[in-house]
Amino acid sequence: MSKTTQAPKALRGVGNYIDDRFHLAKTGEKNLRKVFPNHWSFMLGEIALYSFIILLVTGVFLTLWFKPSMMEIVYDGSYERLQGVPMSEAFASTLYIDFDVRGGFLMRQIHHWAALIFVAALVIHMLRVFFTGAFRKPREINWLIGVAIFALAMVEGLFGYSLPDDLPSGMGVRILQGVMLAIPLVGTYISMFLFGGEFPGEDIITRLYVLHVLLIPALLLGLIVAHFMILWHQKHTQYPGVGKTDRTVVGTPMFPAFAVKAGGFFFFTFAVIAGLSAFVQINPVHLFGPFTPTSITSGLQPDWYMGFMEGSLRIFPNWLDFTIPIGPGYPIMVAVLVPGLVIPGLIFGGLALWPFIEQWITGDKRARNVADRPRNAPVRTGVGVAGVVFYGVLWLAGSNDILSETFSIDLYLTTYIFRVLAIAGPILGFVIAKRICLGLQRRDRETLEHGYESGTIQQLPSGEFIEVHKESSSETVEVLSSKKDPSSTVLQEEDVDSSGVENPDARKGMGKLRRALAHWYTKDNVTVRDVEPHSGHHLHHTHDHTSQEGPEEDEDGH
Amino acid sequence: MTENNNNDKNEAGDDKPERVVGTPSSSAEERVVSEQPAENESAHAGPFEPFETHLRSEEQMRRGDKMASAWFIIATLAGIAFIASYFVFPPNSSGEPMIADPQIAQYSNMLLGGTLTLAMFGIGAGMTVWARNVMPHYEVHSPYDELPSNEEEKGSFSEFFMKGADESGFTKRPLMRRTLLASMIPLGIAPVVLLRDLGPLPREKMHHTPWENGRRMYVEGTHRALRAEDLENDPNGMISALPAIDDERYPHGISMNDQAKSVILLIKVPEGDWKEGMNQPVSEDSDETHMNWTYNGIVAYSKICTHVGCPAALYERTTHRILCPCHQSTFDAADAAKVVFGPAHRGLPQLPIGVDDEGYLISTGDFNEPPGPTFWEYQGGSGS
Amino acid sequence: MTRNGETVKWITARRRHPLAGYVVVILALALFGVGYAAMAPTAEEARAQTLSAEAPDPDDVDIAEGRAIFDQTCASCHGQDGSGGPNGPDLREAGSASVDFQVSTGRMPSMDPDSQMPRRDMVMSEEELTNLIAYYDAEIRDGEAGPDVPYEVPGKEPQREDFEDEGSYEEALETYEAEYDSYIEGASDTDEGMKLYLTNCAHCHSWSGGGGALTDGRWAPEIHDATPREIYEAMVSGPGAMPMFSDGVIVPEEKQELISYVKTLQAEPDAGGIFALDRVGQVAEGFIGWTVGLSLIVACAIWITAKQRAHD
Repeated sequence: MSKTTQAPKALRGVGNYIDDRFHLAKTGEKNLRKVFPNHWSFMLGEIALYSFIILLVTGVFLTLWFKPSMMEIVYDGSYERLQGVPMSEAFASTLYIDFDVRGGFLMRQIHHWAALIFVAALVIHMLRVFFTGAFRKPREINWLIGVAIFALAMVEGLFGYSLPDDLPSGMGVRILQGVMLAIPLVGTYISMFLFGGEFPGEDIITRLYVLHVLLIPALLLGLIVAHFMILWHQKHTQYPGVGKTDRTVVGTPMFPAFAVKAGGFFFFTFAVIAGLSAFVQINPVHLFGPFTPTSITSGLQPDWYMGFMEGSLRIFPNWLDFTIPIGPGYPIMVAVLVPGLVIPGLIFGGLALWPFIEQWITGDKRARNVADRPRNAPVRTGVGVAGVVFYGVLWLAGSNDILSETFSIDLYLTTYIFRVLAIAGPILGFVIAKRICLGLQRRDRETLEHGYESGTIQQLPSGEFIEVHKESSSETVEVLSSKKDPSSTVLQEEDVDSSGVENPDARKGMGKLRRALAHWYTKDNVTVRDVEPHSGHHLHHTHDHTSQEGPEEDEDGH
Repeated sequence: MTENNNNDKNEAGDDKPERVVGTPSSSAEERVVSEQPAENESAHAGPFEPFETHLRSEEQMRRGDKMASAWFIIATLAGIAFIASYFVFPPNSSGEPMIADPQIAQYSNMLLGGTLTLAMFGIGAGMTVWARNVMPHYEVHSPYDELPSNEEEKGSFSEFFMKGADESGFTKRPLMRRTLLASMIPLGIAPVVLLRDLGPLPREKMHHTPWENGRRMYVEGTHRALRAEDLENDPNGMISALPAIDDERYPHGISMNDQAKSVILLIKVPEGDWKEGMNQPVSEDSDETHMNWTYNGIVAYSKICTHVGCPAALYERTTHRILCPCHQSTFDAADAAKVVFGPAHRGLPQLPIGVDDEGYLISTGDFNEPPGPTFWEYQGGSGS
Repeated sequence: MTRNGETVKWITARRRHPLAGYVVVILALALFGVGYAAMAPTAEEARAQTLSAEAPDPDDVDIAEGRAIFDQTCASCHGQDGSGGPNGPDLREAGSASVDFQVSTGRMPSMDPDSQMPRRDMVMSEEELTNLIAYYDAEIRDGEAGPDVPYEVPGKEPQREDFEDEGSYEEALETYEAEYDSYIEGASDTDEGMKLYLTNCAHCHSWSGGGGALTDGRWAPEIHDATPREIYEAMVSGPGAMPMFSDGVIVPEEKQELISYVKTLQAEPDAGGIFALDRVGQVAEGFIGWTVGLSLIVACAIWITAKQRAHD
């Protein structure tokens, strides 16, 4: 605890060398002190980042042996069971990685597990950001980048899954081609150009390979770097608490504590992925056998992140298909186009647009750095849950044959159940989630007003028993009283202004819609504005806080 | 970047009063742990002052030190074990890898993976212990930067930018501007043109398969042509078949492309099970019925689902349903393979079959409709 | 109650113990490991139990006993003469392969003729089955109609209780294993077996023989326990909704390739690790990725960021 250790000479030398050329000492010192708020849910994005790094490293290893060629050869490699079987060079080289390259099997499994974890981490990171409102100004652009990363990651995963040219992977490509062919007018042309002729042709693996190892990873890397730089520049959001405001961030400085923790977390992520890869077999292509367009297996599924598309392809009925009665007749295959193009469009489009829709509804133009507790934005939370339920139902529908077999339910019945659930589920999800949010708000108000139930029972002199309510900690009081009521600037504008002229905006279609949405967004709320916290002891915080917040809220109105 | 940092610095000063909130400064208990470091910190506290500083006790730090080191030692040993396990299963003297045996491959995978896991976990755990038990814990306040520039800065930038634009003449000389933009257009289209050779135009290709009059059929996977009498003993038989082609260039005697569109499902349906649909014509302008295209109770349908192209081969002999295991489109084999459930747009195309002089099953023509996923022009080509 | 209270107190007191973090992570790991092990199927037998035998000598069979068994266990549904009834189909053209398949896999006699029977242990002894088949062939079968039992294909493994002493059992077992191996290894064209299996069987029984869903609540059974002879018999007789694959369509040598392919595949150890997720594939992998993978990583994140305050 005495004096600070002198920087070693060598380090000083390097430091000086760099600073002489880039003038970094001052910037560097500031950035060493970059603040990261502490919460486990703020580390979900890091899981995705670390999985991506693992994917890059193991991916490079795999390219050293993988041959992206569809040349048909007769296998005579070391894996005995498939000797003498005709297969593509891509599949044969995958077998080579598995059974000739020591550690190759492990690397391939790490690559695949890391891919599953990567997309899963993207999803929960995105859900965290959505439910806490961390996408609001000034972070809308970073949210859009995140949506793009998510979309690209799915395509990247699908292409990677297709490369080994094993039985299920080839079927994935076939389904992709089937969806392409359904596109009106240009479908056949797109398919012919992508596949270099008819399915399967001899080019598709080579082309997907280039997209998978070069183009998409480069885009992903660029977007991830941009995502991270924007985060660094804008600083992380934080949950409400003592001293945490829209203007001040509280947390652990980057150096030394956060850097060590984040570094340790990389190793944890790698350890879990390596552990799965060591003991849990994934995508055993050598057991599936090579792809042929005529073979199929029951229980065929894509990797989990494509499950929602698979599910929507399964449950969408063909009732809406029709034929344009011109000339020989041209089919419009709604049952392929909606699941293949419209539903992903809805999901990604909805994700991308939500920050702007919400901003339009609330008219909130201020920078928000304190994250919402999900219960305090019940409509947003409800919409998010509805989206999750919709996605989840489609995802489950993608495994309806496995569910049918496992739980002995009639296969067609599962389809009907999922058709109903895909519509009813999100509505129910919205209503229930919103109810729960309001219930939690009510409990918060209760806690703020009366303190928490201590569990201690006391007998009054009158003989009556009461449960003692204790005052909440200052932190709890701060968190609970920091709740902001949902509001919208649209509703604050008078319908009729002082001179008796009707507000023209309110009468137009869009204006009407906006007001209706604003009403819907704000109508249900349990306010805490009029609540005096249980004990006076710690009130100075809250008083400071409200007096400080007050004028800001007023500004808001203008 | 630099400018922004200055901004930070200034705000840090302005923000001082706010930081007082929640800074437990005077509690006696706090002072015991934080007094001494407070002096040190004041020597160089960095850009933002720490608060709630919690130094670990000497005892805790010593324990943490030992614990973290223990983890790092475990990680080192596991790392060495990882490298060692690489050499445990070497190729034999003739260069054949030992791991080609799946059982050995499993041992190798678990040994390498297990040691790697332990090495990674050791480092992660060691670093976490280090951060949690040796490093002092504190939090710092720092301002969120005011992101929008002030009006003056914005105005000044905008003015300067436009001055530059005027200076360049770009705004004032439309001829030059427009010709430059025009010159970009052909170059913008060029990459699209260059991609033209990615593939051929569809034309009529997707309407034709190798099936033609007199073509025999192989049981898929063999090179044995089927005779009608081979199905004599299967009142409820089914088999996957391909056209009998033996092209030396392909290991299976037939290209993947041709396999993908010509594979068929031969199904033997008992006499009384046929349904009404079999008596309809195979296509609008044809006087052949679906029934005419069968032979001796044997019917041939394309095996490729008309939905998105999986092989629809799951045949239930009791219900005569052909089900696609991918998306569960269901076709009725006894009723001209019409769609009875699921997302498919149209029934499975049928192949006309008969026998030749030697009793071998043959096709007597091509499918009545293009096989495979339904596409825009499927009714447009020369068809059957 | 007090005990619980003490336990809670004990845990509470040690919550911030330096080792607490590891305990949580290790407990989580152990929980997933044990949970998985409990759910995972026991390691498959490398080979299904089967017994190969020559066609039984007419002198060794007891047709009278066969008749008694038939009258007691079969006739109530299939009729005294095997001509069928409201609850059971006509057996006269089914063939002895069908009888052997249905009885040896325990599907017959069925308790509930309306629903699909799962595989069970056979309800009678091998000897009783032999007698039943002999009776069927002699009295019920319509001439040579239907497929015969393929005696040249290995069936069930010899069972200890069928033998008087250890020595004769081991001898029988050895003979059986030799026959099994020679049948499986007698196949030489993996590609042919694979193609036949993947184009004609896998769409119901799945690439791994794990089975799959059919319509109307039926299912294609998993075929891990099926002996080569049972697979053969299923192909020629087409039980339930399964179509038939007679020896004309897939000749016996091709059937041997097919059976060898699927049995070899099933017997192969999982090179990717001891947990093969029952070879279900992507659905199981996604499930484990979320429930085990991501949960463990998040558990680590919680450990890293767990609150540490000055007053801790």
